[in-house]
Amino acid sequence: MNAPTPTQSQSQSTGRPVAPAPPDEGGALPGIFTGYAPRPGGYDELTDQRGGVRPHWRSLVSSLDRLGHEELTLRWDNARRIIREHGVTYNIYGDPQGMDRPWELDMLPLAIQPAEWHAIEAGLAQRARLLNLVLADVYGPQRLLREGHLPPALVQANPGFLRPCHGLPMRGNIHLHFHAADLARAATGQWWVIADRTQAPSGAGYALENRIVLSRILPEEFRDCQVERLASFFRTIRATLRSLAPLNPDNPSVVLLTPGPYNETYFEHDYLARYLGFTLVEGGDLTVRDEKVFIKTLEGLRPVDVILRRVDDNFCDPLELRGDSFLGVAGLVQAVRAGNVTVANALGSGLIEGAAFLPFLPGLCRHLLDEDLKLPSVATWWCGQPKERAYVLEHLDELVIKPAFRSGSQQPLFGARLNAAQRAKLVAAIREQPENFVGQERVALSTAPVWGHHHAEPRPLVLRTYATAATADSFSVMPGGLTRISPSAEDPVVSMQSGGGSKDTWVLSEGPVSPVSLLSSRGQPLMSAGPSAAELPSRVADNLFWLGRYVERLEGTLRMLRCIVLRLSGEAGADGSAELTALAQTLVRRQLLPDRFLGRVPLKDLEHEILFLIYKPERLDSARQILASVRGIASIVRDRFSFDTWSILNKLNIDGRARPRRIPLAEALAMLNTIILDLSAFSGLEMENMTRGLGWRFLDLGRRLERSMQLARLLRCAFPPGVRPGLLLEPLLEICDSLMTYRRRYFSGVQLGSVLELLVCDPGNPRGFAFQIEALAAHAENLPREAATPGGTTEERRVAGLLLRLRAADVKGLGGPPDGAPDEGLATLLDDFQVELGLLSNQFSHHYFSHTVYRVS
Amino acid sequence: MIYDLAHTTIYDYSDVVSLSHHVIRLQPRELPRQRRLQTALEIDPAPGSARAQRDYYGNEMSFITVEVAHKRLQVTATSRIEVLPAPVPEPDRSPAWETVREQLREEEPGTALAAGEFLYDSPHITVGPAFEQYARPSFPAGRPLLAGVLDLTARIHREFKFDPKATTVATPLADVLKHRRGVCQDFAHLEIACLRSLGLAARYVSGYLETDPPPGKPRLAGADASHAWLAVYCPVHGWVDVDPTNNLLPSQRHVTVGWGRDYGDVCPIRGVILGSGAHVLKVAVDVIPSHEPRFPFAA
Repeated sequence: MNAPTPTQSQSQSTGRPVAPAPPDEGGALPGIFTGYAPRPGGYDELTDQRGGVRPHWRSLVSSLDRLGHEELTLRWDNARRIIREHGVTYNIYGDPQGMDRPWELDMLPLAIQPAEWHAIEAGLAQRARLLNLVLADVYGPQRLLREGHLPPALVQANPGFLRPCHGLPMRGNIHLHFHAADLARAATGQWWVIADRTQAPSGAGYALENRIVLSRILPEEFRDCQVERLASFFRTIRATLRSLAPLNPDNPSVVLLTPGPYNETYFEHDYLARYLGFTLVEGGDLTVRDEKVFIKTLEGLRPVDVILRRVDDNFCDPLELRGDSFLGVAGLVQAVRAGNVTVANALGSGLIEGAAFLPFLPGLCRHLLDEDLKLPSVATWWCGQPKERAYVLEHLDELVIKPAFRSGSQQPLFGARLNAAQRAKLVAAIREQPENFVGQERVALSTAPVWGHHHAEPRPLVLRTYATAATADSFSVMPGGLTRISPSAEDPVVSMQSGGGSKDTWVLSEGPVSPVSLLSSRGQPLMSAGPSAAELPSRVADNLFWLGRYVERLEGTLRMLRCIVLRLSGEAGADGSAELTALAQTLVRRQLLPDRFLGRVPLKDLEHEILFLIYKPERLDSARQILASVRGIASIVRDRFSFDTWSILNKLNIDGRARPRRIPLAEALAMLNTIILDLSAFSGLEMENMTRGLGWRFLDLGRRLERSMQLARLLRCAFPPGVRPGLLLEPLLEICDSLMTYRRRYFSGVQLGSVLELLVCDPGNPRGFAFQIEALAAHAENLPREAATPGGTTEERRVAGLLLRLRAADVKGLGGPPDGAPDEGLATLLDDFQVELGLLSNQFSHHYFSHTVYRVS
Repeated sequence: MIYDLAHTTIYDYSDVVSLSHHVIRLQPRELPRQRRLQTALEIDPAPGSARAQRDYYGNEMSFITVEVAHKRLQVTATSRIEVLPAPVPEPDRSPAWETVREQLREEEPGTALAAGEFLYDSPHITVGPAFEQYARPSFPAGRPLLAGVLDLTARIHREFKFDPKATTVATPLADVLKHRRGVCQDFAHLEIACLRSLGLAARYVSGYLETDPPPGKPRLAGADASHAWLAVYCPVHGWVDVDPTNNLLPSQRHVTVGWGRDYGDVCPIRGVILGSGAHVLKVAVDVIPSHEPRFPFAA
């Protein structure tokens, strides 16, 4: 989320100040806060000017003190573990390691007392109502411009004013379904709005996750402090959005439109979609026909009534807005224009994110609402006005100069920190295009205690608050918010992108709080997903299919590698060395090891190569590379999995920092065992917990295809024609997890014919080839298809052919005489299987995931 | 003067396109001195939905969706338009350009609201010192606005070479200024950038120009093209059209389709297709005075 700068102001007050708590006697800082020393002259949330604890913090502070240092540290570790388990992440742009960075949550909440919150709440609700009216006017009759309440340049020079969005119909007259404001508290105790977020505000999902984590690690404190619950706010969002469906009011389909997994707050998109019961979609999942929006599912097009978007205004429609964007939906503006879909927030609502609007809000509020603005904004001078421009140029040293209109790239400039040349350049820029700049007063932020390195220290904070429309005349405010803290006590810039942390925000209640929550103890939504969640976009099916394939490929690779590591560690008996040579040769034919391993090789050399095959991410088909693919795809489809299932996927990890050559074999072996067990847990949950819908079917389809392909390839590489299978038989059964079965079934020694019978022909062996092909046949039969497909789909016919071929083959016989070499026919059969399976995979992809490209002509 | 206009665009796709959306601005708008006697839009294959509407600037705009699989899309707009002569402005009766600039920036609504839309940067036109520098010699202190504009128009005509190979839609305006080459669209953008850099309001006009067939030869079907010029805002004369490509004040030989801040606001056809592969674009335009012998519109 974009950072507000903390340097804000307090003059130009036009609203009634929100009074801070009066200082109170007593309330000395207890032991665990020893050394807590806010900077003098600033406002500290916890302590008053004399260093005493403010009254509304006392119960919390003494409770934390009773827990003691050690217990707090334990709980903090616990909190971080929960965050890892939940997979709460935040992507940092421009940092290769920045993807999926764990969310930073501080253990100490920010406490706000009831009376103070009521004033803030009223101010925020009023502000959202006001901004909604301004949007409705600018995108409608423009009376404010005509009658002189807003300078036209504020709109006309504003890149956020999207002409194609003018005059779009708005259901319920709501443009601003969701509003966020960043608040800062000045030294006087006064709260100020320092920025508004009006197009696709982020952070509400993180606020919710913060609450879930904190209420779990501090349950008694949470209960005793009578903290206001967040659930009803989200209920309002859901109810409002569902009420705005133009075409299917009884059973509306609501989707959450995300730019995709590379967006900084993708975690939250997924999280909110699940929590609210909306289908998570990307632009490519949607299409416009006949001026209506549809979601492309495997079973055809399904209508969409409401789009909660996390894509910025300009990127929502490549046809009428930015043509170079592929994040949106072509024709979306026209669908809105025709009144067939509601987009929240309304397209073009980014218009009023610019700081240039701030100085006009008090006047607009009096004009439009006949009320005084309750919550003041930071003092701002818009250079588009001559007097204000003169003031800014005269007071450059005291002000921060910012873009007047919201733009991603420009950083605020501190007049006092500029050298002569920079200053001259800035002055020239302001004179040339004055309407593009504002000057703002600077304000020091208030501080609150952060449980840093096992002690509390004061850090500057900004509070992001949220309001949602119940109707155009009535906005509900989230009782709480996302408190963001700066990375250090000295650094005054608060921003998630620059690495700050966050806090839960506890709005204290005057009376008992009803313990209603929409969440189970696990942090999973209790609210059932709406009917829309049952739909499977083709893109998701594609990802599930590949997740199935990669998970299986990973398991196959790990089993193969474990088989070798076991023997390298000398745990596999006397035959170890000879078996290793045979295994190494198989891996050479499998193109996983270089040719030099065809002959006899020093074990140390083999060990290094195998460690590389496990740990080296840049090595093709290394376990770590496959695992990265698993994780990458899993993170895209995590909304399709239960919490437990996701936890397992999220846990899969191969230590990335280790230098492969230095890793002891025992450690590698332990790691392989852990991951193989985790993968078994994943497949177990998949079998036992996943509804047998299309999602499961594609996941399993991928798994069965991959397992059959891997097996055919492994057998082909292990048993080339004319070579006696010798010592490879047992390791192979071990890789295929069929050694026990074999021993129970065949009392004689291990023979290739019998091995093939078990691994290829036996339809009862879930690790065997026949089992996979029969499962594929069942999938092919049950996938959706066009109405008339006489003789079945091409996939069905191909699987049927495979099955016939398999049943007709004398596989046992192809194994050759006891202790002899396999028949030539074995290689032919396995080669044919591999080719057929490859074609089958392509056919499935082509039929169900046909990839389409949008292009602007 | 009455014209029969035909503008045909053909997209040939190398692969089948299953869905396409297009926004079309090919039908001239009604104006005080421009009457629309007839207009029609033909689309092949027939669109699943088509809607005629007006955009933010009041231009005619159609939104069409073709939902059947197709490898070729043909869009033909035909119109019969009557154009009346434009009043000849008296440049010296226009106010000094600095006065106009001040009026445009004043806080009172009125002038600012009407012209302000065309005063600031737009997606294809970003002003800067280079444009101001180029424009300055035409605007000495106190010069009447239109005198300055006519001088600037003449200089662009004189100092820039018409060269269809020099630029594409994506060529930055700064390159046009540097290399002094381009087509009508570039010259219109350039002059707009110059005027906006001085704090004046200028808008982009899209339309057609009647051309003469080569001496002694018949008019060739489809030989004409879309044209572009600009209009500058003068508090006395209102919007005054100027054509830097031909160094003249448009009158009866120019047919206005619509206007916007720049090309992007009035692009004749903008589309997004669902499909892959390349496409070949063919455009044929005819602007025929209706007293001339008729031939079938290019198909």
